[in-house]
Amino acid sequence: MQAALAPFQEAHATALAQPVANFFSPVPPVQEPGRLYDFFRASNDVQIEGDVRYVLKHNKTTCMTQKESGAWVDIIVSYWRAVKEIIKAEEASNQGRLGERQYVAVYDAWKDLTSNFIKHISGGALPAWAIFTLYFTANHLRRIAIKADDQLAKSKPATVNASFSDDIVSTVAQNQKLEEAARVFNRIFALCLGDRNPDLNESRKWGVYCVANLQFKTYFKLKAISLSKNVVRSIEAQSDLPPFKLYPKAHRVTYRYYTGVLAFLQEDYTKAEKNLQEAWDACYASAEKNKSLILTYLIPCRLITQHVVPKAPLLAESPRLERIFGPLVTCIRKGDLTGFDKALAEGEPEFVKRRIFLTLERSRDIALRNLLRKVYLAGGYDDLKEGQTEKDRIRKSRIPLVNFAAALRMGGQAVEDDEVECLLANQIYKVRVPCPVQDSLLTLPQGLMKGYISREHAMVVLNKKGAFPGTGV
Amino acid sequence: MPTATSAWGQPMQPPAYNAVQPRTTLQPASASSNTPAAASKPKKVEWPPAVRDYVRRAFDPESAIAGVSSLEMQTKLKETISYYAERNMQDSIDWTTYPLPQELIQEERRKAALMSPTNNGFANGLSSLHLNGANAQANSSPSTLKKRKSQDSEELAQQTQAILPPWRRTNLESRMTFAEGHNEKRQKKNAASDASSKLEQAELEKRRQRFNLGKAGNNKTPPWGASARDEDEMPTGPVVGTNTALEKSYFRLTAPPKAETVRPLPVLEKTLAMLTKKWRAEKNYNYICNQFKSLRQDLTVQHIKNAFTVKVYEIHARISLEKGDTGEYNQCQTQLKALYAQNLGGNPAEFKAYRILYFVYTCNKTDMNDMLAELTPADKTHEWIKHALDVRSALALGNYHKFFRLYLQAQNMGGYLMDMFIERERLVALANMSRAYISITLRFLTDELGFDNDEVCREFLESHGAQNIIEEKFDEKTGKQYRVKIREAAAHFEQLRAAAFSKVDIKGQI
Repeated sequence: MQAALAPFQEAHATALAQPVANFFSPVPPVQEPGRLYDFFRASNDVQIEGDVRYVLKHNKTTCMTQKESGAWVDIIVSYWRAVKEIIKAEEASNQGRLGERQYVAVYDAWKDLTSNFIKHISGGALPAWAIFTLYFTANHLRRIAIKADDQLAKSKPATVNASFSDDIVSTVAQNQKLEEAARVFNRIFALCLGDRNPDLNESRKWGVYCVANLQFKTYFKLKAISLSKNVVRSIEAQSDLPPFKLYPKAHRVTYRYYTGVLAFLQEDYTKAEKNLQEAWDACYASAEKNKSLILTYLIPCRLITQHVVPKAPLLAESPRLERIFGPLVTCIRKGDLTGFDKALAEGEPEFVKRRIFLTLERSRDIALRNLLRKVYLAGGYDDLKEGQTEKDRIRKSRIPLVNFAAALRMGGQAVEDDEVECLLANQIYKVRVPCPVQDSLLTLPQGLMKGYISREHAMVVLNKKGAFPGTGV
Repeated sequence: MPTATSAWGQPMQPPAYNAVQPRTTLQPASASSNTPAAASKPKKVEWPPAVRDYVRRAFDPESAIAGVSSLEMQTKLKETISYYAERNMQDSIDWTTYPLPQELIQEERRKAALMSPTNNGFANGLSSLHLNGANAQANSSPSTLKKRKSQDSEELAQQTQAILPPWRRTNLESRMTFAEGHNEKRQKKNAASDASSKLEQAELEKRRQRFNLGKAGNNKTPPWGASARDEDEMPTGPVVGTNTALEKSYFRLTAPPKAETVRPLPVLEKTLAMLTKKWRAEKNYNYICNQFKSLRQDLTVQHIKNAFTVKVYEIHARISLEKGDTGEYNQCQTQLKALYAQNLGGNPAEFKAYRILYFVYTCNKTDMNDMLAELTPADKTHEWIKHALDVRSALALGNYHKFFRLYLQAQNMGGYLMDMFIERERLVALANMSRAYISITLRFLTDELGFDNDEVCREFLESHGAQNIIEEKFDEKTGKQYRVKIREAAAHFEQLRAAAFSKVDIKGQI
């Protein structure tokens, strides 16, 4: 046992969370694949507690108080039990006779470990950095829970409704273990947020954002996204957190990303853009995957808020983004509505999966705007009046409705005459587009097109100046 | 800090027993306890209108007296009317002048206080001692009582004379005659077999006695309880019904159902035929909804999952849509979704279309996204689903012209669903048009907004406070013409639009 606990003692001596977390890992380190097995073989069910206690008591490298060493004994013993289950599951799977509750047993043991951590941290027995070790442990718990749920789902497909509900189908949880894990994370979150230690260096408040991120990940996976709002709300209600910019970059980027996506899903695009932009700016330059994830939401966001289409080099950076957005962006630029509809329909499965479909759909307005603008430009100029020069001559601002209708039909759109008017009306109105959750778009100063429709003359009368705001005409 | 956990725990682990108390209706309690012959088969009491009115007044919040809880009042009320019912003296009492139960209680208290002014509590204790029917009510939580109060008095009066399901007829008697030692034995047995805590177990057992087990009283062994061992497993196994009555009032289960109260499949099939016929003839939604709920319950407790089940839910969903009962509709829709997943037949396409339209109504983008993710390419080409998808995309793009065309083309119950948000979308379109046009003809507005005729359109504008913008003009060619100076009401329509989106009913949503 002495030898098996040597890595722990070394790690503990560094007083850093990461090395200790590395010791409490459900997978052996690459350079030492037999570590878990050796650790397991170093003791047995009966003696484990005594063994660990003995080693920690008589160690020379680290000095800890009685209380702390007691806590570690508890934690290491529960870790040993978890390792035992992991090895049992591994052996079973190697022999091809994996029982349906094998991973559940691993999960339960790992949950005990996590709970022990929580218990001793809240009891004040462990040093301040242990909160991050707990975070790593909890993250492992999340992965193990997902695995256990997969196994449970495979083993029993349907459950019988045994309750006295009036209806046939019961709402038995699909992700039972992950839901359970989410409750554990909630406890950890409360543990961090509620720390009253006045010394900020020792405070568990430094763990708030990384645990929040863990919760976001879990809730997204559980398709219970709305629960994330509670987390954000608690953080925003907490006034005495350390300044956000002092938190590690990794925590900040992920937190901003998730809050951005949450705002995005609530159609608060202004807030979403702000958060995602912050995440983008702080993101580590070579973290390609993270950057592409951020852009997946930032690009649709900016299409809505600023009517801005991403430039080619940005898309070229990531093949994934190019594949997702490339065709759409080309059609928007050209004002090709039929092409846009096709690209949207083709990309639908992917868009829906990323939850950006309904937002991207709205960028059809920009494609339409670009088409109408072409009609306007093709209309040419009014005749020169006295005193006017070539330079300041004015474009024809009264455009027959049939021109717009013709342009739409040339592009392959089957539209009725009244429908053309409706589309034009939308372009004029669009700044105040219905946005039921938050009328954030109201704050935007400009519409897509300026002018009015005159039915009597079958004309669109456009503003002499800035008929299509933001496009230079 | 608000904990997210509480939000989780609830829906995911439904309690095996619902903690809802059954409605303690005003059945002749003392009658059944005093005369055992009547107890086994209590006569159905037909309450005269005067008594019903008396009950109504008793429940009227205005006649409430401070210090007399509604629980005490109900007990007293029950005691009073059953006293006379039992002696067939209902008609000899002038119910309009008879003191209300709360007044009786007050009077009693006053007398008790006079007799022993120092021992008020004792007097109260005494009075509650002889109220033998109070047990069940004493257990009901304040929230259920409150809920009851909010029911309208008419319904309440109706329920006093409603036919009681058999298991409730016996409940009082069984409560009175249950041997104490017997209970304890049963409790132990169950506690051992079940993983739930002892406390819970005891609670459950108490409930079971209260509602279910006329067994000890009449020595009839229900089919599911052939042996003690079977009985322990009872909640998991399906019941096979033996009841042959076509009609049955809905009653929320709080204990395992008894076979004699449950109708088997052949009877249920007849019931459904009878109900659809009745619905067409009478259109009495309260009755139909109640019957359908009991029908669904009987299917559930017998674990019947087949094409018939699907049919029942479909018909109930359609009826509730027709009546705009979104709560009930959503319950059916949730079930249907799961039933369709098991390929039991029915019309999945129709109900997928409804779901899409419903999400349009609730503006639930998250659910809409999930819905779109679920649709297969084949689904998307289906006529009804395509219609619903077109409605969705027309609204998403603000294409009100197309939207109102689609409204007029809606099939099945789609029209009823679209009715739920048609007014809102008209306001959106008006807000939109008021920015794009300065003045338009009323006829154009009628056409664009899918109104039946100019008159309806005009009424719509007037009822939304826009009467001022309609003007009468004389045109040489067409004669008299109405024009709408729509630009002038732009800000007004914008306000109405925003208000229309701020309230969306989402009860029981999937």
